[in-house]
Amino acid sequence: MFNDYYADIAILILIYVALGASLNLLMGYAGQFSMAHAVFYGVGAYSAGLLTVRAGWPPLLSIVGAIVITFVSAGILSLPAAKRVRGEYLILLTLAFQMVVSQLMNSLRGLTGGPYGFTVPWLSLFGKDFVSPVDFAPLMAAACALVLAIAWGIGESPFGRLLKGIRDDEGAVRALGKNTILAKLLIFGITAGLAGFVGGLSAYYYQFIAPGSYTLDLSIFIVSIIVLGGIGNLAGTVVAAIILGGLRPLLQNLAFIGADNSYPWQAVIYGAALIFLMMFRPEGLLPEGFAFGGRRRGRLAPASPAPPMTPGVNGHRPPVAPGQSAIPTEAPAPPIVRIDGLSKRFGGIAAVDCVDLAFGERQITALIGPNGAGKTTIFNLVTGTLTPDRGRVLLRDVDITGKAPNEVANLGMARSFQDVRLFPRLTALQNVAMAVPNQPGENVAALALRPLHCRRAEAAARAEALRCLELTGMADKARERVANLGYGEQKLVAIARLLATDAAVLLLDEPTSGIDPASLDDMIDLVLRLKEMGRTICIVEHSLTVVERLADHVVFMEDGKVTAEGTIEELTRQERLVEVYFGT
Amino acid sequence: MIDPQLIAQLLVAGVVLGSRYALIAVSFGVIYSTTQIFHLAHAGTYTVAAYAAIVVANRFGAPLWLALPAAAAVAVAFGAVTDLAMYQPMRRRSATKLAMFLASLGLSIVVSSLAQIVFGPQNLSLDRVPNQTFLLGNVTVTTLNIAEVVVGWAAIGALLLFLRRTQFGRAINAVRINPQVAMAVGVSVDRIYLLVMMIGSLLVAIAALLFLMGNVAFPTMGLDPILIGFIAVFLGGTDNVFGAAVGGLALGLATSLSGIWISGDFASAVVFAILFVVLVFRPQGLLGKAAL
Repeated sequence: MFNDYYADIAILILIYVALGASLNLLMGYAGQFSMAHAVFYGVGAYSAGLLTVRAGWPPLLSIVGAIVITFVSAGILSLPAAKRVRGEYLILLTLAFQMVVSQLMNSLRGLTGGPYGFTVPWLSLFGKDFVSPVDFAPLMAAACALVLAIAWGIGESPFGRLLKGIRDDEGAVRALGKNTILAKLLIFGITAGLAGFVGGLSAYYYQFIAPGSYTLDLSIFIVSIIVLGGIGNLAGTVVAAIILGGLRPLLQNLAFIGADNSYPWQAVIYGAALIFLMMFRPEGLLPEGFAFGGRRRGRLAPASPAPPMTPGVNGHRPPVAPGQSAIPTEAPAPPIVRIDGLSKRFGGIAAVDCVDLAFGERQITALIGPNGAGKTTIFNLVTGTLTPDRGRVLLRDVDITGKAPNEVANLGMARSFQDVRLFPRLTALQNVAMAVPNQPGENVAALALRPLHCRRAEAAARAEALRCLELTGMADKARERVANLGYGEQKLVAIARLLATDAAVLLLDEPTSGIDPASLDDMIDLVLRLKEMGRTICIVEHSLTVVERLADHVVFMEDGKVTAEGTIEELTRQERLVEVYFGT
Repeated sequence: MIDPQLIAQLLVAGVVLGSRYALIAVSFGVIYSTTQIFHLAHAGTYTVAAYAAIVVANRFGAPLWLALPAAAAVAVAFGAVTDLAMYQPMRRRSATKLAMFLASLGLSIVVSSLAQIVFGPQNLSLDRVPNQTFLLGNVTVTTLNIAEVVVGWAAIGALLLFLRRTQFGRAINAVRINPQVAMAVGVSVDRIYLLVMMIGSLLVAIAALLFLMGNVAFPTMGLDPILIGFIAVFLGGTDNVFGAAVGGLALGLATSLSGIWISGDFASAVVFAILFVVLVFRPQGLLGKAAL
């Protein structure tokens, strides 16, 4: 029997589901944190209510206004988060925001009606009045379904993949040429906008808005729902919202607790649940990746026989000017990258001291030297991870000094990392697909406005990613989460990911370190093949045998300076260098 | 023209408030800087101290000289049990910092909700607290104000001396700077974490009891002060206990002096604005070292 009592409980649970799903998009997918979700729900309710009562806007327009206001305010609030503020400070910032807005709702009496709030008329749409809970429940169900669909759609889109990448390793995402700051601002705005939407709609249901409904307790409650259900799992959020949302009606009907104490008892229960979950099952009831009845997977795009891959094969970045010979030559090629007087000090130590370098086009340049010579620092300086104190970096005569890592990658120079830095919870295919440049599906507006275009582009990106995996011999592991792969396999996936950026210049930081001798030859062959495909490569490498087999040109560094250059034979003839290198 | 008497009064109020914030900040900072846990359940410890004092003094009728130390002891025990029963097992399972924060969040809400169930949502005050108001020049001061400033800074000074001069203090510093190395030279990290939890709990209990003597206890009393305490820790730099005290004092003065221009209702908005601006422009804190 669906009467008003049950309809009221159902509406409350639907609100919890929608709030939980939107916050889970932020926490589980983007790896950001917010203790202020109740505030955005509340700001949505206040905005819609005030626009209706004070400005006389029609309800639908008021709800749109509520979405815009929450979207913009969350965007501003997340400015520090976009600038790399994470972890504790993000908790602190959002917690403080929650407290302040709660207080402002009480203090700004002229606007909000203070602690006693204000009333809102019931909703009238298309000649129908939504007054009773039974009338309103289908409306809230539709809104909740919409929020779930948006959260799921964004989560599974290329934009969602980008968010997961930011969650796992933001620096690595930037190194692939993606703008992470904009993505973070957007996801804060979107998730708050979803909460604002639900809040705006709820204003017409409760017809009464007061600060007590949007306190920190509610924010904590929503976080509890997500944690109980499983961070990063929307199905879990739905289940947990039903369990925790059904708790209070249940408690109210227990005679010995009484209606007054049902709130604190509910809080004791979910607080205790939070403690025990974190102690014994931090992944929640339904962990990320879990789905009812097994996961339905999209079919793998048919692996087309790999055409000879050259950079610019997708029309992205032709490395060769028209009219110029594209045939690789062993003759000294014009340098594609020029580094002039590059310097960087850390405190009193000159990590890189006035280094001049040039990478010949379609050649392999090796940086060698003892530990601490500044080789990886050069990579960090050249790709914009660090800003040089002095000096210039030119890529094809374009000055890229001090540009952000994503801009450098987009201009055609990408790097790998010594410690691999794949996104461990994503599959190999997802890792590589993320690197494919110019994906319309990473743009939220395009996702909404041109879904078919995004779909086609996504299929192309996945095919491209699969081709890169094939080239590195990892195509049969495309569906594996990279956390489950061996270290050597991860290194190969990392090369595939680098390849997918379509950059003409590749910087490889110790690609052979830590892999077993059997895979060593595979890696060497792969790097040689990259060169044949027209890539310019700079490699930091410790093993002189590897350098001997790969490098056209070898640069020897000591204490931040270049002390010798030439072929490997020329360098190994100098006894002093060998001594420095092997420390004999 | 701003009334100089108003400024003097707000300045005194700011020093009193700042001393309270400083003590709370130091109590949180000593735990956070050593264990790296966002110990939000510190709000629970604060609340436990206040209600324990009310039970001992009002219900059992104990005199204050007995009730206050007893309440502090209860708070210290609460902090110790939190570490032994919650954080230590989580560390063994190498729980993430976020997981530890969420558990801490859960504990803080359990404490405030249980306080509401047991003592009710209303304000409770401590019986028989002696207090006198007198004029210092033309500024009104109470003996409790003076007690709060003197006891607060004495406690902060004692902590600094403890950290710098004693064997335990040096062990805490060692663990804070590098737990692995500290372990390698034979310092038990678990015991040090327990020790700082107890020290932090003692300090926050002192702050809570000083507050309670002039004010009231209520179930959610802990959250605001702990939040401000952490903001002060952040402003002062998390690697520096004295910086936390300075940050707390500065926040107290800023909140109070902002009363010259805006209503006291917006005091917490001032604190938030300071936090936001600093996070945007100087994410390592005001006194913190520049991040690499």
